[in-house]
Amino acid sequence: MKILLRNGRILDPSQDIDTFGSVVIEDGQITEVGPEVNEEGADEAYECRGLWIAPGLVDLDCRLWEPGFTHRESIQSGTRAAAAGGFTTLCVQPNTSPALDAAALVSFLQEKASAPDAGGVFVAALGALTLGQEGQRLSNFSSLKKAGAVGVCDEGGPLQSAGLMSRAMSHCVQLDLPLLAHCEDLSLSSGGAMNEGAVSALLGLKGIPRTAEEALVWRNASLSQATGCPTVLQRVSTWGSVMAVRQFKEMGAPVSCTVLPQHFCFSEADMLEFDPSFKAFPPLRTPDDVALIQQAIGEGVIDVIASGHCPYAPYEVDVPFSEAPFGFPGLETTLAATLTHLTQKGILSPLETIRRLSTSPAELLRLEAGTLKPEGTPLAQVVVIDPNLEWTFDASRSFSRGKSTPFHGARFSGKAVLTFVGAEIYRDPALPSSRYEGS
Amino acid sequence: MSRSLLAIRGHSPEALEEMISLGQRIRWAAERGKAPFAPGPSKTIGLLFFENSTRTRVAFEQAASLLGHKVVSFASSGSSISKGESLKDTILTLKFARLEAMVIRHMASGAPTLAARHFEGPVVNAGDGQHEHPTQALGDAMTLLERKGKIAGLKIAIVGDVLHSRVARSNIWLLHALGAKVRLVGPRSLMPANTSLFPAEVFYDLRTGIAGCDAVMCLRLQRERMTDGILASIGEYAASYQINRSTLKAASPEAIVMHPGPMNRGVEIDDHAADGPQSAILSQVANGIFAKTAALAWSLGEEGRAAS
Repeated sequence: MKILLRNGRILDPSQDIDTFGSVVIEDGQITEVGPEVNEEGADEAYECRGLWIAPGLVDLDCRLWEPGFTHRESIQSGTRAAAAGGFTTLCVQPNTSPALDAAALVSFLQEKASAPDAGGVFVAALGALTLGQEGQRLSNFSSLKKAGAVGVCDEGGPLQSAGLMSRAMSHCVQLDLPLLAHCEDLSLSSGGAMNEGAVSALLGLKGIPRTAEEALVWRNASLSQATGCPTVLQRVSTWGSVMAVRQFKEMGAPVSCTVLPQHFCFSEADMLEFDPSFKAFPPLRTPDDVALIQQAIGEGVIDVIASGHCPYAPYEVDVPFSEAPFGFPGLETTLAATLTHLTQKGILSPLETIRRLSTSPAELLRLEAGTLKPEGTPLAQVVVIDPNLEWTFDASRSFSRGKSTPFHGARFSGKAVLTFVGAEIYRDPALPSSRYEGS
Repeated sequence: MSRSLLAIRGHSPEALEEMISLGQRIRWAAERGKAPFAPGPSKTIGLLFFENSTRTRVAFEQAASLLGHKVVSFASSGSSISKGESLKDTILTLKFARLEAMVIRHMASGAPTLAARHFEGPVVNAGDGQHEHPTQALGDAMTLLERKGKIAGLKIAIVGDVLHSRVARSNIWLLHALGAKVRLVGPRSLMPANTSLFPAEVFYDLRTGIAGCDAVMCLRLQRERMTDGILASIGEYAASYQINRSTLKAASPEAIVMHPGPMNRGVEIDDHAADGPQSAILSQVANGIFAKTAALAWSLGEEGRAAS
């Protein structure tokens, strides 16, 4: 089987390539990339004029909710949503039930994700940092790693003890295992429903102060520097967190950080009507934070844009604001939100867009992804993006089981139109197939 | 026309004045032993109290009776609510029970907004979490008009636990809409961290805050604030923020003292302030019923039935 992606704009940040040309996928592998490729014997050819050809997107922050919460999402529905959003590799958070704190659970997840009825994307586990995510005893990192976990994370039970975090980092250095940190001081955030500020005061909702995030960004960055543990600070949302990351990077600490689209698209000013679909963690901050977050993404202080995919069943969300859960689905909107709010505005170049969404996350977790190098990945992971496609996101028609998101009804410009993992796993149905076919 | 009263914020001064003047007409008739409303078709109003409150519930029952309507009460204990039913399902169930309006009190800020979304008919907020308590503010405005003759241009201090007070959040918007200068007075730990969206000036010192004010509204201090470290002690709070014979001297000599009740005598207010000649607290209780009647009539689109 030989697939030809012809005459597109090839973007591969892993080799700093931004050029026009074609990509050949043969027997599931990328075999040729360049302005001149051997087109002979192609079984399928896609005309990609005006489109981008890039490595498939890599997500460091999503929940497929298996095992334990299949009323919210499943591996099947979540991986299909991923393919539709241009993602080809997902790192799933360990806050399942039971938590991903043991090798058997990691194996279960990988097996289920590679079944034929799943969406076809790679799914890698982030192991729970502590047993049962209780913040008391560290999980067995080496057996998690042997089973295939690509990192450990305290998602679901943010580690409050600095001492335990420091020891976890030492183990990670020893085992050469990346650590992802959920930065939240529970003594400051507990009971809060949105950003502590002018709007929470207006609505009479308990606020989550920015210091609940910033204090632990500083602590975890400082521990990362002290131990030498490569640490991904998840979901920075305030300008104070950005300053901390910038400073620790300048001091040579092995820290990096991720951001979610909601933190560069929305602010607390969008939340005056008690709409639970805006309830995010970290909470939506101020318009000033949004501006500085955008700038920091452009400058590369923020390394990765993640989906934060966190769907819920409709009945879980249709409750008073303070009782609603934090988070919403993101796999089908992350690329479009990035293209619309950052790339189109010139904050990110096309190459840097792909770097934030694919190459950087892959490099940080040392995944075989995020590149168009022949033989660079076990199977070709490629996404074809129409950077100018105007479309409206209708959450009720999404692949994800979660339908409540502030991006419902959003106008986007830019979309993944074809996704490949070895073979085609997603094709935008609204598009005329003739545009992409015919050789 | 039926409409909901979920909050004061967002309503035009004209709509708020209409409700207040309706309340005044109802009071005028009731005080003279006249029927405040011409007869009309009897309706059924649901009172959903997810949080305990005898005073407010009784006041709404009286309000409905002044309108000639029946009430059906739902309390959170002894109903399906205590069996884990969601607010949405409770509302959907009651919709089919043919309620013409719903009055809701809930411990979660914004719950009436959710209720209104599913109920579709008029919803009156009887207090939601720390968000708003619109009918309390409407009654307070009637009391101010009764005692001061006007609201525009008055200096009014709201004193105490502003952070957790839904009464404060409704009064700020109502008094501002009617042209008063609003001041918020209290310790930093009981003041929202960011008050920039409130049309009010903030003071952390009691005497400075109430200096020259025409009205002082005390807020109830809830004792559970002691347990979470927000206040060191009741005594320390009372020493700095109690409205009493001595501190009241900082306000205008004609200032009135208000309190939404129930009072903690000896904490936020002393007997002199609560019972003395400057107190307007009993008038607030009476006006509360008329304001709730007006709010129900306005929500049901029945203001035309009111005696003129």
